[in-house]
Amino acid sequence: MSKYQYVPEPALVKGDHDFSSLTRLVTDINLRPTPKLWYLAMLGANALLMVMVVAIGYLIWEGIGIWGLNNPVGWGWAIVNFVWWVGIGHAGTLISAILFLFRQDWRTAINRFAEAMTIFAVMCAGVFPAIHVGRIWVIYWVFPIPNQMQMWPNFNSPLLWDVFAVSTYFTVSFLFWYVGLVPDLATIRDRATDKIRKVTYGIFSLGWTGSNRHWWNYEKAYMILAGLATPLVLSVHTIVSFDFAVSLIPGWHTTIFPPYFVAGAIFSGFAMVLTLMIVARKIYGMEDIMTNDHMEKMNIVILVTGSMVGFAYIMEFFIAWYSGVEYEKAIFLLRATGPYAWAYWTMMTCNVLSPQFFWFKKLRRSVGFTFFISIVVNIGMWFERFVITVTSLSTDYLPSSWDYFSPTIWDVLTYVGTFGLFFTMFLLFLRFLPMVALAEIKAVIPQADPHNYDEETNEYVAPIVEVPEPQSEKV
Amino acid sequence: MAQIFPKWTNQVPRKILIGLIVLLNAIIFGVWYFFSPEYTDVGYAPEQPVPYSHQLHVDQLGLDCQYCHTSVFESKQANIPATQTCMNCHNQIQTDSDKLALVRESWQSGKAIEWVRVHNLADYAYFNHSAHVNVGVGCESCHGRIDKMEVVYQSEPLSMGWCLDCHREPEKYIRPVDEVTTMGYQVENQLELGKELVDKKNIHAPTYCQGCHY
Amino acid sequence: MLRPTARVAIINNVKDSEITDQQMSEEVKQTTYWKSLKELADNKEYQKFAEREFPENATELTDGVSRRGFLRVMGASVALAGLAACRRPVQKILPYSKQPEDVVPGVPLYYATAMPVHGNLVGLIAENHEGRPTKLEGNDLHPASKGATSIFNQAAILGLYDPDRSRYPLNKGNKATKEDFTEFAATHFANTGQRIAFISDPNSSPTYNNLKEQAKSKFNNSTWVTYEPFGEDNVIEGNRIAFGSRLRTHYNYTNADVIISLNDDFMASTHPNSVEYAKQVSSRRKVTDTNGEMNRIYAIEDSFSLTGSYADHRLKLKASEIEAFTYALAAALSSRINGLNAFSGYSNQFSDHKWITVLADELAANAGSSALSVGSQYKPEIQAAVAAINQALGNTGNTVNYLDVPHLDDQNNNQAFADVVAEMKAGNVDTVVMVGVNPVYTAPADLEFENALSNVETVVNLSDYVNETAKKTTWHVNHTHFLEAWGDGYSYGGALSVIQPQIQPLHDGLSEIEFLNVIVNGEMTSGYDLVQNTFRGFFSSGFNDRWTNILHDGVGTTDNFNAVNVRLSSDFASAMNQATSNVSATSGMEVVIRPDATLYDGRYANLGWLQELPDPMTKITWDNVALMSPATAEKLGIREQAAGKDITDVVEITVNGKSIKIAGWIQPGHADDSITLTTGYGRDGVGRVANSYMDYTAGGVNVYPLRGTQNMFFASADVSNTGDTYEIACVQDHHSLEGRVLYRQATLSEYKENPDFASFESVHTYPLPGLGEAIENGDDDGPISLFEEQTFPDYEPQWGMAIDLNSCFGCGVCVIACQSENNIPVIGKKEVKKGREMHWIRNDRYYVGDDADSPQAVHQPVPCMHCELAPCEQVCPVAATTHSDDGMNQMTYNRCIGTRYCANNCPYKVRRFNFFNYPKEYLTTGDDPDIIQMAMNPEVTVRFRGVMEKCTYCVQRVNRAKIEAKIETGSPKPADGTVKTACQQACPADAIYFGDISDNDAEVARMKRNPRNYQMLEELNTRPRTSYMAKLTNPNPALA
Repeated sequence: MSKYQYVPEPALVKGDHDFSSLTRLVTDINLRPTPKLWYLAMLGANALLMVMVVAIGYLIWEGIGIWGLNNPVGWGWAIVNFVWWVGIGHAGTLISAILFLFRQDWRTAINRFAEAMTIFAVMCAGVFPAIHVGRIWVIYWVFPIPNQMQMWPNFNSPLLWDVFAVSTYFTVSFLFWYVGLVPDLATIRDRATDKIRKVTYGIFSLGWTGSNRHWWNYEKAYMILAGLATPLVLSVHTIVSFDFAVSLIPGWHTTIFPPYFVAGAIFSGFAMVLTLMIVARKIYGMEDIMTNDHMEKMNIVILVTGSMVGFAYIMEFFIAWYSGVEYEKAIFLLRATGPYAWAYWTMMTCNVLSPQFFWFKKLRRSVGFTFFISIVVNIGMWFERFVITVTSLSTDYLPSSWDYFSPTIWDVLTYVGTFGLFFTMFLLFLRFLPMVALAEIKAVIPQADPHNYDEETNEYVAPIVEVPEPQSEKV
Repeated sequence: MAQIFPKWTNQVPRKILIGLIVLLNAIIFGVWYFFSPEYTDVGYAPEQPVPYSHQLHVDQLGLDCQYCHTSVFESKQANIPATQTCMNCHNQIQTDSDKLALVRESWQSGKAIEWVRVHNLADYAYFNHSAHVNVGVGCESCHGRIDKMEVVYQSEPLSMGWCLDCHREPEKYIRPVDEVTTMGYQVENQLELGKELVDKKNIHAPTYCQGCHY
Repeated sequence: MLRPTARVAIINNVKDSEITDQQMSEEVKQTTYWKSLKELADNKEYQKFAEREFPENATELTDGVSRRGFLRVMGASVALAGLAACRRPVQKILPYSKQPEDVVPGVPLYYATAMPVHGNLVGLIAENHEGRPTKLEGNDLHPASKGATSIFNQAAILGLYDPDRSRYPLNKGNKATKEDFTEFAATHFANTGQRIAFISDPNSSPTYNNLKEQAKSKFNNSTWVTYEPFGEDNVIEGNRIAFGSRLRTHYNYTNADVIISLNDDFMASTHPNSVEYAKQVSSRRKVTDTNGEMNRIYAIEDSFSLTGSYADHRLKLKASEIEAFTYALAAALSSRINGLNAFSGYSNQFSDHKWITVLADELAANAGSSALSVGSQYKPEIQAAVAAINQALGNTGNTVNYLDVPHLDDQNNNQAFADVVAEMKAGNVDTVVMVGVNPVYTAPADLEFENALSNVETVVNLSDYVNETAKKTTWHVNHTHFLEAWGDGYSYGGALSVIQPQIQPLHDGLSEIEFLNVIVNGEMTSGYDLVQNTFRGFFSSGFNDRWTNILHDGVGTTDNFNAVNVRLSSDFASAMNQATSNVSATSGMEVVIRPDATLYDGRYANLGWLQELPDPMTKITWDNVALMSPATAEKLGIREQAAGKDITDVVEITVNGKSIKIAGWIQPGHADDSITLTTGYGRDGVGRVANSYMDYTAGGVNVYPLRGTQNMFFASADVSNTGDTYEIACVQDHHSLEGRVLYRQATLSEYKENPDFASFESVHTYPLPGLGEAIENGDDDGPISLFEEQTFPDYEPQWGMAIDLNSCFGCGVCVIACQSENNIPVIGKKEVKKGREMHWIRNDRYYVGDDADSPQAVHQPVPCMHCELAPCEQVCPVAATTHSDDGMNQMTYNRCIGTRYCANNCPYKVRRFNFFNYPKEYLTTGDDPDIIQMAMNPEVTVRFRGVMEKCTYCVQRVNRAKIEAKIETGSPKPADGTVKTACQQACPADAIYFGDISDNDAEVARMKRNPRNYQMLEELNTRPRTSYMAKLTNPNPALA
């Protein structure tokens, strides 16, 4: 008996599934009548959505003053929420594009799901930059449209870069997602029995027949879009971080921001995917596809990115001290000890401490614990943005201007409301679109491998994994 | 399996795409043109309480602009004349014309005649007449051929872009100061004359915001 | 599109106003602009806009409904924005019917006038736009002003347009007309035998005082009392004790090398002659080079005063200890100089105090060139001692003069007032005539003035508001504002001026001379005639020319009160022996009552500008507090105000059985076991700004109940912590510089050793980063920059500002002047508490020094720095803030979309955001919005909701000057000094210099060449156009 043991790569799809069983497992959800639970959930989501609509309505009617902002602190929850949602909107495209390029087959179980989340998260994010301005009715001035004033926007402004970065990211992510959907939509179209479904799914599957030529185009398009999306994943949050890094406010004016923001984004993105996945797979019985192996892999990503974020926090401190700039030094000390220490230590605990538990395989594979941590992480990431945005502003250069920011009920309602938007969209997605990339998941089960067929009978023969006995050397 | 869609639908996506592009451009152009003062304001000719005809007084009787608009060289406003000014002549001429009833009434009562404003800049745009006429911007350049107007109307957009056209290249429009009130002023060598005047008058029309907005 | 302004609206709708031409104003029919503006307000179209754009509600906005609507009015930001909304509204232009002479529509006119402050005139110049005064400025020719002003002078313009002013006479509370009153007066005062008590504000007007004499002689049973809650009677009595005659003390600090203030805050606006004194004192601290010399200022005081913060040495003593201290000082001096034998041999607990020796030596060494003064609230004996010391030092004639002021009564008015009230109580008075005074609110509590009043049959009063007193009268007559009526009077030092009205009375009403004339002669005579008659007396020959001159200059040629050549009176010594033998000092806790820094005795309580002006020392707005030292606070268990939390503990203060509850506040440097209260708050039914609410939402607390005839100034008190809390709106949470070199100072001698002490290198010990590299690249404008540096064309002037921290003493008049000039709204306590104050220039106050118990307080005015490499400009997505060719950081309101990114990125935090539509509901308040509208400066856009705003270097003045210069000289460069920013013009210490820095001979350029000149946060390479000149102190080595 040797001390070494060969562990075969676990199968990506558990249970004994073939193509048709998978098809049924996934698309039945869209074809069978709507469950009561769904309506209930939808009701809740819409209620929240209404909250958002009201909060925004009152904001536009009354003015930014209904929020807690004041003179030193010109940006509060709105910007925090914006960055937070954009961050969450990172996982999807990362999973689908980057992991695709790296041929990480396990992505297929969750990419559709994650991309959907991305798109909806970016929608939520997009709400805030629009509404946080004082005069929303002239916000179109940020777009370079020819006008009688002969005025262009200021292309030096990071806010303007934001507008372009986020909208580009949204567009490409959306296309990427849609292209991926086409074959599966066709599947549903073909399985659909009633006219309405046939027609609607038919329209959106763009006359897909599954011909070799279609597949060939599809693969190309998918590859190209993946290539396009990959740099965007990095660029979006880099540019979002410029909103802060380009300014000269102590605690904002930091070169480490871009990588640190991207890491944070992936961190929170994966956490959010987990939160949703764990619930969804339970309700829709997808444990065979979204397995604990997936969960564990994602937990490892969380562990890594979480540690990167932690490193960044410490690095900020070091640089602040190393730079010798008194204002930098002051702001970081104030974060840890000043009026907002509570927020700072919440952030530290949630983002740096909590992921460390994932060093233990047991915890990595524990569904309950993962779910808990995934939520903790997102709370932590919200506080990270809060700490960055608010503390730096409230105690910057001139002590005379220092002031404390506290939110009003309207800050809170607007934030809570965006969850309404998010879940409304997400529930619609779960109901009407295949939540797993069917065409892709089929490609990663053994049945997809021609070698697993008997030459004569063309019968499927499940592959046998041979474990070679290693030579135990003499002592 | 039966076809859901007829053949022609193959063309639909392409058509939609093209349609969208056209629509988008149409919208941008629409905003750019139809929302501009060029379209909205030019030609605004409200009816005035007293049917005063510049055509008659300026073109036929040859009054100079400054006979009535006296403060144009020293104030930011080119004042609307006091009733007094009308009465200078009209206590001898046309003394019982019904058209002038309101003027005479105002003169008796001391109550102002309520003229309707025609050239109306946005409140946040600061315009100073004296600054312009004293360096040779003609009345005509902004107000058009007043001498040909039976009823005064707005003949130029008075939009920011329109102002900038001149502020960026004054030489194209500038004229000698003594020609400021001339109507229908024309020289064929405008450009070189303009350049001369710009140098002579040391004109640097502000193109920064605070020139007009504060 | 919505437009944040009403410039055109205002101009057009006020242009039609019938102008009040000064020389002929009494003939001019009134009303016209009313009408036109009313018409405008009634215009349906217009109200639609108003309603659509200024919806109801917004409870966040302010405090309490009536107050809310009103603050927006007082905020005086015009909602005529409605006019300029999406659809094109029809606008009317109403020209004059008969155009007055010398009025060119659109060109402002400036007329001289004068403002009575505590009865003394301060010469002013009023800026008029088509017949409505919009801004008041100092008159260079007037000795009490020298072109500068106090906060009260600046805020007077808002007082004129205050919709809460009394609008018509009241007969037993019912509306009446001034004709009714004249009728009543004619009959009622025909009975000359009746027992009449006249209670009047101090008034220096010769016309008024003639009528006063007539009244006294006509009504043979009458008594006349001049009542002023914080009057100068003690000083005058003191001089009587010292010199035998009632004289006014008038200092001339220009000749003083050493200034000692015994709890006398003579630089603060609350002092009747603050502007002149501030000018004089600061003029002796202008150090332009290393040969410069400075005066030396000592302050001995209980609470931290402006004078104290400006002093080189400050000693904190309880108010009650000053008396002993003064006598000890006199005694110490008696051994050094002659003339103080009265004190020789005397000694008390202070006699071997270090300061006594130091001060005595200092005074003796500077005999003849020193000035000693004591707070006017101290009793006459102390005043006398101080007068004697100045006399003995030979300061009389050099640094101090004793003026014979004809209109001062020959009686101790504090005493006389008490007597008359007693008489009233006893029912021995038939008629009381009150001119201006508000004794029901301000009289010492133990006199129970209100009861006394109820025993009087007929009570007549003249006042600006239907205030506490007016409510108790048989006849109330509404007083005209000084900008509405003719008047005359003397400055504190005796310069004669005519008060020239700028506008027809908005609410009719009577001036005090017209009022008194009606009472005396039973008939209405216009103030114009009354004043002219007086001056016919003065100008026997060549009346017309001299009359025109005095109107034109705003001040007559030398008509000063003559300075008396005083000698110590024979019974001075005995008086002093008596005084020194029973020196009273309160043991235990004492409470001190002072006039409020911004509301004075309460007469300015309804002016939103002053309510919202942060107290110069505490930086508190909208409230008064109980100031106490950290030690005392600890004793009482009053918590330090936490960062961002404006909650404070409420204390209960009891004096002779009367008690009040008021928020406690920690004032570093305050004397221990002492509490300072300020008056003017806790009003009831005066006006919507002044009114206080019992639920503590705002308005402060009335402290007069604690004030008795025996303790007008201080009294021993019982103080306890109630355990309640109260929210205070304080604009500065953090009082330490955190060791940051934002404020730089050195002693005079240090400066002489190292003139460059304020340079970056000296304060940081390493050179400015990036400068070396820049110079290598041949660019010496500043450190290397990532951004392309803007090149400023030489055909444009290059504007810059220098603020001399050595002159600024923190009075805050710059803030009010700016507010008045730039249409800055008042936003209310709630908004201020949220940290949304709108002031374009603020006055930062820091406590520095190691000794936490008695730190040094420094003041630093911070306007926009107009950085050449402005951080705000880089980040605005729509280029709403950019740079002009003449080097200004421009804020284009109408382009702003309100991302607030610029404010975030401003290291100086000088940008202000319109979080709400502060002028909201402006037309729907039902308060004749047009009145407040008239206070607007038509040259400045009124900002709308959601846009950023900030200091513009008064660009409207700059551009006007540039246009005029261009037309006259062909170059847009105005001569140096032709453009003054509002803050610069108002500053009594000449601390602010502004001009073209590209012109080497310009004053501002000279100042910037001074080695003391430094830039705040220079290392950020923002290249501010506003720079500071480091402060110098002149400490006495003996105390170092």
